[in-house]
This record gives sequence, structure tokens and C-alpha cells, in this order.
Amino acid sequence: MFKDLDPILHSQLRLAVISLLISVKEAEFTFLKDKTNATAGNLSVQINKLKDAGYIEVQKKFKDNYPQTICRITQAGVKAFEKYVQDLQAYLGVK
Amino acid sequence: MENIADKDLSAEQSLQLITSMIQSTRQSLQDSSIYFLIWGWGVLLACVIQYSLKVGMNSPYHPMAWLVLVVVFVAQILIGFKRMKKRSARTFVEDANIYLWTAVGLGYFISFLIFGQIGWDYCFSFYILFYGIGTYVSGKLIQFKPLFIGGLLCFPIAVATVYVSYDMRIIMLGVAILISYIIPGHLLRMNHQKQIRGNV
Repeated sequence: MFKDLDPILHSQLRLAVISLLISVKEAEFTFLKDKTNATAGNLSVQINKLKDAGYIEVQKKFKDNYPQTICRITQAGVKAFEKYVQDLQAYLGVK
Repeated sequence: MENIADKDLSAEQSLQLITSMIQSTRQSLQDSSIYFLIWGWGVLLACVIQYSLKVGMNSPYHPMAWLVLVVVFVAQILIGFKRMKKRSARTFVEDANIYLWTAVGLGYFISFLIFGQIGWDYCFSFYILFYGIGTYVSGKLIQFKPLFIGGLLCFPIAVATVYVSYDMRIIMLGVAILISYIIPGHLLRMNHQKQIRGNV
């Protein structure tokens, strides 16, 4: 039944990350970790998958001498998310 | 919230997850009431001091009361920088608010220079106008009714100040800051604390 849904987004953690990023301009890795309660390792892997798909961009920099990872959703990510929601709504019969 | 693992989702679960994540981002918007409260109480204090000096003591130094705002301004900037360093996500609404209040702040500063040249008689009318613009737009951006209603009420007050004496204008400025900054600021703070308690 879900064969047409984007497999990159149809995963709990990746969908959570994209849903968080759709409503902010940018977010730090720690923000995503806090909101999802995921482990750093797992979150890192899923972020890389989203990045490889071109749905998010990841910027690494330093803040007060500590490494900082900032994530932002891309245009392709926004489009993919919108299509994913439309597909879900179509399946559920929601307008 | 429970740990999000990589498991299969039903359509309903997917929509629930999306909704809960978007809501949790909204709830993590920083409480901006501190800025309204500091500036609001600072201006009200300056109004009270100026009115007491001018009307009560007949002192020619009554405009000095506004020096209070130098301290308030420095406090606002310091708090702003500290909070900016601490935040782990940037939202479009927060950024829009920063641009808006930067423009309003520049407006205060520029008008300060202009009134320095043309005289201070009607300066309060314009400052009330600035309060109205800032709090109306900010209230709409964060969708907080008391703030944008307070902002809207500043507009007729600004017009009315032109028809009254200078002493009365000081009182009207105090009323304007009370309804556009202080009352909405306290309500915003209460609202935020209620949200935090609801999340625990």
C-alpha cells in the first residue's frame, strides 16, 4: 500500500528530522537529538542518508571551540516532504 | 518523547509524527516576553520620573529621566546576545522578529537625532507610533492576540497626543507602553510558562 511513498522519508527518524527542519530555518544537531530522543550514532546515519538524497544540507563549524553541526532543509527536501504528505493524505482520503 | 527508532510506520502514524514534530518546534520558540517587559517597565519608570520631576518638582532637568533607557538598552542587547548564543535552532519567525525590532530600534535612534534638531514637543506621538508598529507586527508574527491588540490601540493614542498638553502626553506614553508592552509581556510570559508546564 505504501509502494509509492518516498522510501527516504518513510522511516520514522528521517521523517521526524525532516518534519523538524521544515518548520525552522536551520537547526543544530543537538536540537534534532533532543527533539527526537535518538542516539547520536543513529541520528548521524539518518542525517547522512537525507544529505545523500539531497533533502538537507549539513554545515560543520565551530562554536566556542566546540564542533557544531547545522542542518537545513533544501528545496528538493521541501518538495519531497510536500509530495510525501500529499501521498499520505491521498491514501487516508484526507483533503 | 519516546525514542524514535527506525521502524515501519502506518499512514496515520506518519501524519501524527509530522504533526507532533512541527508542534514541538513551535513550543521551543524562545520566550520573548523578557524584551517587552524590560523595555516596557524601563519606559514606564522614565515616564513616572519625568512626570514627577516636571509636574511635582518643577525641575528643568525632567528630560534627564530618559537616561534610564540607556541602561535598559544595554541590558536588552546583552540579553539578546546571550540568548542568541544559546539557541540551537533558528526559526523564520524569530529571524523576522529580529529584523523588525532592529528596524524599530534604528527608527528610535534616527528620530532621536531628528527631534534633537526640531524640538521634542511631539516626540511621544512618534514613539507611541513606533510601539504600535513594532508590537502589532510582532504580535501577528507570533500569533499572540494581546500583543497585536495592544499595538493597534497605540495608533489612536498617538493621534490623541497631538491634542493634549505635554504633561498629558507623558501620561499617555505611560498608558501606551502599559497596553502594548507591559500587559502583553506578562501575558506572554504566563502563556509560555503554561506551555512548559504542559510539556512536563
